[in-house]
Amino acid sequence: MSSGGMGAHEERFSEIADIGILRSVREKEQQRLSETMPDRPIGETAEALNGLHDALIARAISLAEREMARLGYGTPPVPYAYLLFGSGGRREITFSSDQDSGIVYADASSEAENQANAAYFAEFSRIAVNRLVQLGYPPCEGNVIASNPSWRLSLREWEEKIDGWFAEPSWENVRYLLILADGRAIAGDQALPRMLKDRFYTDVLQTPIIARRMLENTLRHKVLVGVFGQLLRERYGENAGGLDIKYGAYIPMVNVFRLMAVRAGIRETGTLARIGALQEKGLLTPAEAQAATDAFALMVKLRLLTAAKYEDGQWIGSGKIAKEQLTDGLVQPLKRALKFGKFMQRRLEREMRDRYGSR
Amino acid sequence: MVKKSLIALGALLVLFPTMAFAEDPSAATLNMGLNALWIMVAGVLVLLMQGGFILLETGSTRMKNAGHVAGKTIFTLGLCSLIYWAVGYGFSFGADAAESLNKFIGIGNFFFDPSLTAGDGDSYPSTIFFVFQLAFAAVSLSIAWGGFAERAKLSSYLIYTILFGSVIYPVIAHWIWGGGWLAEDGSQDYAGSTVVHLTGAMGAFAATILLKPRIGKYNKDGSANQISGHNQVFSALSVLLLWVGWFGFNAGSALAVGDGFFGYVAFNTQLGAAGGAVAALLVSWLFTGKADIPTMLNGALAGLVAITASCAYVEPWAAVVIGLVAGVLVFLSAKFFEKIRVDDPISAMSVHGAAGVWGTLANGFFATKELVEKVGVGKAGLFYGGGGEQLWVQFESVVVCGAYAFAASFILLWIMKKLIGFRVTEEQEIIGLDLSEHGSYGYPEHLKKTGASI
Repeated sequence: MSSGGMGAHEERFSEIADIGILRSVREKEQQRLSETMPDRPIGETAEALNGLHDALIARAISLAEREMARLGYGTPPVPYAYLLFGSGGRREITFSSDQDSGIVYADASSEAENQANAAYFAEFSRIAVNRLVQLGYPPCEGNVIASNPSWRLSLREWEEKIDGWFAEPSWENVRYLLILADGRAIAGDQALPRMLKDRFYTDVLQTPIIARRMLENTLRHKVLVGVFGQLLRERYGENAGGLDIKYGAYIPMVNVFRLMAVRAGIRETGTLARIGALQEKGLLTPAEAQAATDAFALMVKLRLLTAAKYEDGQWIGSGKIAKEQLTDGLVQPLKRALKFGKFMQRRLEREMRDRYGSR
Repeated sequence: MVKKSLIALGALLVLFPTMAFAEDPSAATLNMGLNALWIMVAGVLVLLMQGGFILLETGSTRMKNAGHVAGKTIFTLGLCSLIYWAVGYGFSFGADAAESLNKFIGIGNFFFDPSLTAGDGDSYPSTIFFVFQLAFAAVSLSIAWGGFAERAKLSSYLIYTILFGSVIYPVIAHWIWGGGWLAEDGSQDYAGSTVVHLTGAMGAFAATILLKPRIGKYNKDGSANQISGHNQVFSALSVLLLWVGWFGFNAGSALAVGDGFFGYVAFNTQLGAAGGAVAALLVSWLFTGKADIPTMLNGALAGLVAITASCAYVEPWAAVVIGLVAGVLVFLSAKFFEKIRVDDPISAMSVHGAAGVWGTLANGFFATKELVEKVGVGKAGLFYGGGGEQLWVQFESVVVCGAYAFAASFILLWIMKKLIGFRVTEEQEIIGLDLSEHGSYGYPEHLKKTGASI
């Protein structure tokens, strides 16, 4: 797991005990960050935003713990870690994000004790997820969320589950493994998620073919640049003339570098951190790493520009950048970035084909 | 089984006694008979193209209009046949007009009452020629319906059929095929890229301008939404039906079996269609990143439309080029019409209009001297030493015929719109024309329950 110190996240808002106030803090801070965005390097805004999200989420989880105590459930019976997956796990949240989360808790000495632990975390996750919804993080549509018992397990159960996914690498199971690769603890114990990742990376080493399966799962999203180097824009609907930055630029890049990192045993969850680690290991040349960093930074910037609507008390990002925002000054570097993304996709694909044969 | 065969054989002998008791027919009679047989088969193939239009238009539109879209094609085919019989054929091919009037319109043969058989020296019976020509008029009309789709009142179909079958299509057919002024200029339109396809497309264009886009096609900011057709399999099957029917359309237009030249026409037709299908799929794949099936289907049709004018005048390689260009053109044209906010649900303007114009002009480039002499119309094209003369004639006929078909359609439909209205109400459009115009759904099981809410 990357970047520890969740205590620090939580401390930032430690004096706030009311979720409503926390929410108004989020709104105010996001407003401020979006206003100052044009005046500062994009990396700073992205870092500040994710620092904000980390602090808010950690605080909400801490409040959920307190609420449990108040309701008579006591303190957590065993150490646990609250995990974030998806953009939260990668620390790449924009102004809006849904909750992709899970919980891992320590093993019990008896089955009865384990059941008691499960009961505690069931109630705890229900409260935590609800508080986060109140904070403006809608539940994950794919049901990858701590309140779903499939994503809330003891360490041993998690390890069995991971082994099972590796043993039967169906399309869905590989998807779960890729989700897990982005996992990061936002609150609680640090050792548990580390052990989880140990199992994950041991299994990767023992099952090299998994990389091939992961590739099939990650090349599904095509980079939106055509054979003539043209942008493949939205043709219909309210975003016509715009570009699907999320699925046509950002996600393909995330996927490529995640897969490269997983194969190399790199445990960083952030894409930029993965690129850096890949360079250190000599898997990317300095020039490639630079191009990758530039391309990714641009995609992060465009992602921050994509319209974030405020609907039914939640922020909802379309992931698509409007035609008007795609100025001439942006289009050229964007095309360059997309071409680089496509090049990396192809390179990875070729590498896999050479190694494992074509399908 | 044996018994049935004997009965059938007996019946055949009664019907065709010459099979049994042959008195050798003359070579001229045989020739006439062969011509008649081929033109009749071709006419039936062209008539069957209506099946293609039914599936094309239905597949490209929504379920709630399916019964209406399909059924109205049969109704208007019937009505068009009566009108064409009463006056349309006479305006196209009647030979009684004075020379100066004949330049513009034919007179005679109204309420066509043909002789029972071919006369001495005729290449084929006039009955069969009538059936063949009628089928062309009906095709042109069905093309125009593309511009009406999903929003015009049923009564407008009735009125436009009468107008189209009497004073719009027959006039253009007369100009180019009936000895009118463009025929005198040597305009080359072998099977009707202009006469049939451009005329129909212009009717569709006029209608869609007057009707305005369907509800939900465009957003307030001007961006377009995709209103997908409900059945791509219908659309694909429709293209196959039309493609096969086109052998009647083009090769039948030779109006003779003779030395087998109609085979060459069929051969070029296949090449043009193939080029259109291939080019359209590739171009949509290259430009949008997705190989679009409706675009590919439109490309095949555009190739067919384009080669229609030129199939008898060009070399095989040119047929391929004409098809390929048509496939690219149909993709660009559809984007263009969408951009200028002309809602064309089945791409009639692109497939039949743009490709029709291209196919007609293509003669001006690719017509060879040898083939021009063989067909006996006009001169060789620009690339075959004919200079720009034929190209100019082709251009002229496209502009004049396109303008006439558009203006006549627009004015007549505009008057109709003012007098009785053209478009169904918003509520009817949302419910669907199946229910509003006919009272029952084409797909009752699928739609009945939700009918009240949509």
